[in-house]
Amino acid sequence: MFQQGIQRRIKYQAELDGNFAKEIVSTPGCDNLFSCIQCGKCSGTCPLSLYMDYTPRRVIAMTRAGFKEEVLQSQTIWLCASCYSCTVECPKEIKITDVMYALKQRAIRDKVYPKRFPTPILAREFFSSIWRYGRNTESWLIVRMYLKSNPFKMIAQSLLGFNLWRTGRMGLKPESIKDRAGLQRLLEAVEQAEPKESRTPAGERE
Amino acid sequence: MTAIQGDGSIRIGVFICHCGINIAAKVNISEVVEFAKTLPHVAYATDYQFLCSDPGQELIKTHIRENNLNRIVVASCSPLMHEVTFRRAAGEAGLNPFYVQMANIREQVSWVTKDMKSSTTKAKALVAAAVRRVARHDALEVRQVPVKADVLVVGGGIAGIQAALTIANSDKKVYLVEREPTIGGHMAQFDKTFPTLDCAACILTPKMSSVAVHPNITLLTFSEVVSVEGYTGNFRVRIKRKPRYVIEDKCVGCNACVDACIYKQPRFPDEFNVGLSKRKPVYMPFPQATPSVVLIDPESCIQLKKGTCKMPCVDACDRNAIDFNQKEEFLDVDVGAIILATGYQPFNPSRIPEYGYGKYPNVYTGLEVERLVNAAGPTQGQIVLKDGTKPKSVGIIHCVGSRDQKTNPYCSRVCCMYSLKLAHLIKERTEAEVFNFYIDMRAAGKGYEEFYDRVMSEQVQVIRGRVAEVTDWAVTPEEEGKLVLRVEDTLVGVARRIPVDMVVLSVGLEPQPDVEQVQRLFNISCSKGGWLLERHPKLAPVSTFTDGIFIAGACQGPKDIPDCVAQAGAAAGEAMALIDKGHVDLEPNAAHVRENCSGCRTCISACPFHAISLDKETGLSVVNEALCKGCGTCVASCPSGVAQQQMFTDEQIYEEIEGIMNYV
Repeated sequence: MFQQGIQRRIKYQAELDGNFAKEIVSTPGCDNLFSCIQCGKCSGTCPLSLYMDYTPRRVIAMTRAGFKEEVLQSQTIWLCASCYSCTVECPKEIKITDVMYALKQRAIRDKVYPKRFPTPILAREFFSSIWRYGRNTESWLIVRMYLKSNPFKMIAQSLLGFNLWRTGRMGLKPESIKDRAGLQRLLEAVEQAEPKESRTPAGERE
Repeated sequence: MTAIQGDGSIRIGVFICHCGINIAAKVNISEVVEFAKTLPHVAYATDYQFLCSDPGQELIKTHIRENNLNRIVVASCSPLMHEVTFRRAAGEAGLNPFYVQMANIREQVSWVTKDMKSSTTKAKALVAAAVRRVARHDALEVRQVPVKADVLVVGGGIAGIQAALTIANSDKKVYLVEREPTIGGHMAQFDKTFPTLDCAACILTPKMSSVAVHPNITLLTFSEVVSVEGYTGNFRVRIKRKPRYVIEDKCVGCNACVDACIYKQPRFPDEFNVGLSKRKPVYMPFPQATPSVVLIDPESCIQLKKGTCKMPCVDACDRNAIDFNQKEEFLDVDVGAIILATGYQPFNPSRIPEYGYGKYPNVYTGLEVERLVNAAGPTQGQIVLKDGTKPKSVGIIHCVGSRDQKTNPYCSRVCCMYSLKLAHLIKERTEAEVFNFYIDMRAAGKGYEEFYDRVMSEQVQVIRGRVAEVTDWAVTPEEEGKLVLRVEDTLVGVARRIPVDMVVLSVGLEPQPDVEQVQRLFNISCSKGGWLLERHPKLAPVSTFTDGIFIAGACQGPKDIPDCVAQAGAAAGEAMALIDKGHVDLEPNAAHVRENCSGCRTCISACPFHAISLDKETGLSVVNEALCKGCGTCVASCPSGVAQQQMFTDEQIYEEIEGIMNYV
């Protein structure tokens, strides 16, 4: 309904982050960002753009202009299902899905993602499971995701989970590789090799 | 080097150009000047802001006189740019123009080097090379060769027609070669032309008939150029005349043979109507075809395929014009200049599968709709769907096959305007709701923005967004049986689904599919994407890097009719300038064979221009200077090193190399 109160909508140049676009464009895969002609084919082809607060095209425009807060706090980047339709159809060959990933990483690093939104939690739990066991156990991944996002939803999904377990589609036994310590050494080495500023903080892993 | 020092009479003047800051910002000019003064035979060295300016040239002339200079080195831009200027200046001061040598310290140094120190070093090396080379230069005379008075125009679209008429009106003979059975090109297929909505046929067909009856134009339709020999002013061109199976001089275009054809109904796709209607094996391409002569398609004619037809066409023709034994013929013509106006092909939208062209029957290309709108078209001007009903809503998608890295990165320039024109015509004829989907509306041209205004005021909906998909998958009941366009309305910022009855794809322009052949045949370069390359994008837009060959129209790049016509006029002017002069000046770069030739004939077989022959009496190879193009192949192939090329003698080249090597 009619919004209570009148808000200031202008954006002053000083409120924008001049370096934001440069940082994103320097992420591997995001290098064509400045070639965007704002044609909107990405948003037209996106199966999820109808749920997004900003269409993918707007996210690119806002990223380029330095609307860092709005972009990192938008639902758009978390709704992206990585179907790559936009990347396939983009006339300027911008890897929009990769841009979305770069923005997601940045949102996690800056801790500005929507707190109880399942997608970032799923991403982090997936990563930490691989880190610890070398494999992903789907049942526990889902349990942890629901515990951290919306535990009540787990109750609604429990019957489906039970049926999946009963028909052997999903196991409860935690899966693991043999040389877990070896993998962790390897991942740590990778992390050391990464430039510091783009590293995911260790605390985010848990 | 010692050899030159013995010759005290050589006095070289070195002039270094700043070219504003183009060179001066990256090269330490005074350092190069001081360096030049230390080089052998350099009697004078100086620098100047713009040597190509009048005072700059005057400076060179003054110093030639005052310092008795007899060799000039100009270190500035490329010889392509200003060699003529500086040679002329030297000539005006009484020096042989070929005593001038240029060192390119702009394109080869300042524009491509970041570091000032290394650019200065390289500039010095190039100046040293030029100084040492020019000391070995000879006084040469420009060769003059008479030119042939006729002109060849290749391509009979609007550009070719305009060029041919302009030249023919100046009382010169023109050969106009067109590979299709009629001239007219794409323009003949259009209905109206933007922005004034002139009927295309009304303004084109008078020009077509002028071509047909013009006493100075030899119109060769259904013909192709197969070989080109010679050089500017003196081309010999071989033209293949494909058989029409109809004697052109006898046929009057009465169409009696078409009516009599054994096929009572037309059965084969009509090329002129882009396959939207059918024609018979014997047909007139379209009513105003020029020349007004029918032709027989050997692919579909029973007599030509199997020889078993009763040939009612032959009986029907009271002028005995049909000749099933016609064979292809070859015609050689000598011309002084050639104008290429070979045009474009429309983009084939089946390369963009998400737009459903070829899958959904009611997805059309712009050219197909042009034919539908045209009163002489397959539907007599009715805009109807494949089921014969009028569309209630039409979506026109701009930029199909343009501005896309996967198809063509360039803007095709004409699509915005012809989309608006089609929007207007569709609205006028059907009262349908019309949506134009554009990325950027490009209406740059005289009267174009006003036309855009007019179409907008007719309440055509323009939506800024590239359509993602054309689909028949309905989500709402209103979408049932329609084509749905999925698009982001970028100005509103939401994804939309718009159901329409008909989709028009505004396809872009592409180079002709056989452009590579044209390029090889006429020795023309192509720019990226396959458009014929002009000599200079701004200042020599219709010239090519092959002297005597000019380009006009869309073969050079996508352009609309006004631009094609303007360019055709420019190309005609250039061709007439060449021919009216009566002769061409050839660089004195011919090869010659010195006396101790062994007569091995290696050079004779190596010469691509058949310019060398063996003198039977002396047993030596002799170069015909009028035929020699100065390619240097004989020089490289001569086993005893007696073949030499003027302006590129071994001594000159070795001195140039020494210059670079010794001073770096």
